[in-house]
Amino acid sequence: MRILAIDTALEACAAGIIEMPDRVLAQESVAMARGHAEALMPLLARVMDQAGTGFADLDRIAVTVGPGSFTGLRVGIAAARGIALAAGKPAVGVSTLAAFAGPYLVAGETRPVVAAVDARHDQVYFEVFGPGGRILVTPRLVAVRDAVRAASAAAVIVGSGAGILAAAWPDGKPLPAIATQGAPLIASIARLGAAADVAHALPKPLYLRRPDARPQDAARLPRR
Amino acid sequence: MLVLGIETTCDETAAAIVRRHEDGRGEIVANIILSQSAEHAAYGGVVPEIAARAHVEVLDLTIAEAMVKAGTSFEALDGVAAAAGPGLIGGIIVGLTMAKAIALVVEKPLVAVNHLEAHALTARLTDAVAFPYCLFLVSGGHTQIVAVLDVGRYVRLGTTLDDAIGEAFDKTAKLLGLGYPGGPEVEREAARGEATRFALPRPMLGRDEPDFSLSGLKTALRLEAEKIAPLSDQDVADLCAAFQRAVVDVVADRVLTGLRAFRRRFGAPTALVVAGGVAVNQAIRRALETVAGMADTSLVAPPAELCTDNGAMIAWAGAERIFRGMTDTLAASPRARWPLEETLAAEKAPA
Ligand SMILES: Nc1ncnc2c1ncn2[C@@H]1O[C@H](COP(=O)(O)OP(=O)(O)OP(=O)(O)O)[C@@H](O)[C@H]1O
Repeated sequence: MRILAIDTALEACAAGIIEMPDRVLAQESVAMARGHAEALMPLLARVMDQAGTGFADLDRIAVTVGPGSFTGLRVGIAAARGIALAAGKPAVGVSTLAAFAGPYLVAGETRPVVAAVDARHDQVYFEVFGPGGRILVTPRLVAVRDAVRAASAAAVIVGSGAGILAAAWPDGKPLPAIATQGAPLIASIARLGAAADVAHALPKPLYLRRPDARPQDAARLPRR
Repeated sequence: MLVLGIETTCDETAAAIVRRHEDGRGEIVANIILSQSAEHAAYGGVVPEIAARAHVEVLDLTIAEAMVKAGTSFEALDGVAAAAGPGLIGGIIVGLTMAKAIALVVEKPLVAVNHLEAHALTARLTDAVAFPYCLFLVSGGHTQIVAVLDVGRYVRLGTTLDDAIGEAFDKTAKLLGLGYPGGPEVEREAARGEATRFALPRPMLGRDEPDFSLSGLKTALRLEAEKIAPLSDQDVADLCAAFQRAVVDVVADRVLTGLRAFRRRFGAPTALVVAGGVAVNQAIRRALETVAGMADTSLVAPPAELCTDNGAMIAWAGAERIFRGMTDTLAASPRARWPLEETLAAEKAPA
C-alpha cells in the first residue's frame, strides 16, 4: 500500500510518501508556526516529484486532523480532501495524539503512554494509551494540573505539550520520560492511516474546543 | 475553456463550473451554493471560526456536486480558481488550499481570484459588457464606485468612509429586532411602511467626490427609534421605509456623481454595472436605472443569485485571467485584506 501522509496541524509543514510497511519514498518536513497555507502545496509537489510517483499510484491519503492549530489542521484536511476528490482516492484522518504515541505503542511499551499537545491558557489536549493502543483516557482538553495528575503512572509523555507537563511536575515525584516533539513523525501518521477504516475515517477536524463566539443581543430595541 | 470556481470568503460555501466560449461569451454549467446563514443567525452576524469550520466540512462535497451537475471530469478542466480574498481568512484558506490541491493533481493552472474583481467582472459573464464600464459594488462589506478598464485594471472613484450599505441594512435590522441577514427583512418591512414619517439625513449629498457615509444615518435612525420605543409593527415598517428611502436618495446622488467623474477621466462608460448583495434591493435598482438614464448609459444588473456570493463569478474571473495568461503559483497567499486596485500588482509580483 502506498500512502501520502500530510501534517500541518502543529509546528511543522510536512508530507511523505510511504510504501507500507516502512519504505519512505520521499519526505520533507519544515518547522513552521504559520504559513502552512502557502508552503504545503509546493512542498507536496516536491515530495511527489522526489518519490517519482503520481497521484494515480497512491492507495490513500492520510492527514492529521488535530488536535492542533485550528487553521493549520484545516489546511491539511482541505488539501487531503481536495487531492482525494480530484484523484479519486480515499482519504483518512489521523489524530495527532495517536500519531505521537504510535511509535511507543508499536515498540511494545507496556505502561501508559501519554500524548499531550499545547492548548495554551494553561491547558493541554491530552490522551492516554495503554498496551496495544488501548485508549485509557479519551482525547480531551484539560487543565495542565489535571493532566499532570492523570499522567502520574506514565512511562513516557510525548508531544508538543510534553514539556509543559514536565514543567508542572510535582517535586519529589518520579518524572516519566519526556519526548517533546513539535509535530508527529510522518511514518507514524502513515502507519495509522494504513490501519484506518476508509469507510469511517473521513478526515474531519478534531478541535476539542468550541469556537469562541457569543450570541449578540446588543443594540436591539424593545417591541410592543 | 472550462473552469472550476470556489468561493469561501464569507458564509457561503460555493462551487461552480463556467465555460468561456472562444468568442468571449460566458456560460454557467453548474452553480452550487450552500448558505450557512442558519448557523450564524443566533449570533446576529457571521462568526469567522464557525464559518471556517463549516467550509471545511462541506467544500469537497459541494465541488463534487458541481462536477456531477456539470457532467464533467476534473481532467476536462482548463483551470481551477478560488477566491483568495478579501474576506474571512479561515474560510479563504480552506477554499484556496482545496483549489491548489485539485490544480496540483490535475496539473492545470491555478488562479487566486480577488473576490471583488469577481463581483466586478460578473456583468461580462451574464451580459458580455465591454470595457470600460462603471461599477457600483455594494455589499455587506463594500460600497465602492469603480472604473473597470480591463481585467486587472481598476480605478476606485469613490468608497464609503465608514459602514458599507449592506452593513447599515444589517445593523438596522438588528436594532429593530428583524432577522439576519437584515437587507431582505428591511426591504420587506419598508414595502408596507410610510417613508415620510421620519426625517432622516442624507449624508454626503451633493459632495464633489463620489464617496459615501452611512454612520450618521444609522445614528439618526437609532435616535428616532429610541424616541418612540417600544416599537409597534407599524413603527418598524415606517422606520425601515424611511431608512431605505434615505439610502436610495444617497445612492442616486453619489452614483450619478460617480458616473460624471468616470466620464471626465475615461470617457463614456459602456454601462453602469451593479454588483454585490445589496443590488438585489428593488428600490435601489430602480434608482440606479434612473441614474443610468440621466448619465446617458444603461444599467446592467446581474440576476440576484449572481449578485450575492457565488462560485460562478469566481470561475468566470478565473477564466478571464487564464485567457490572458494571468495565473498564480501553488504558493499563492490567502489575503484577508486585498483592495481591488492591487490585483494587477499582486499578479505581477513573484510568488
Ligand atoms: N434586499 C436587500 N436590500 C438591501 N440589502 C440587502 C438585500 N439583500 C441582501 N442585502 C445585503 O447584502 C449583504 C450581503 O451581500 P454579499 O453576500 O454580496 O456580501 P458580503 O459577503 O456581505 O460582503 P462582500 O461581498 O463585500 O465580502 C448583506 O449585508 C445583506 O443585508
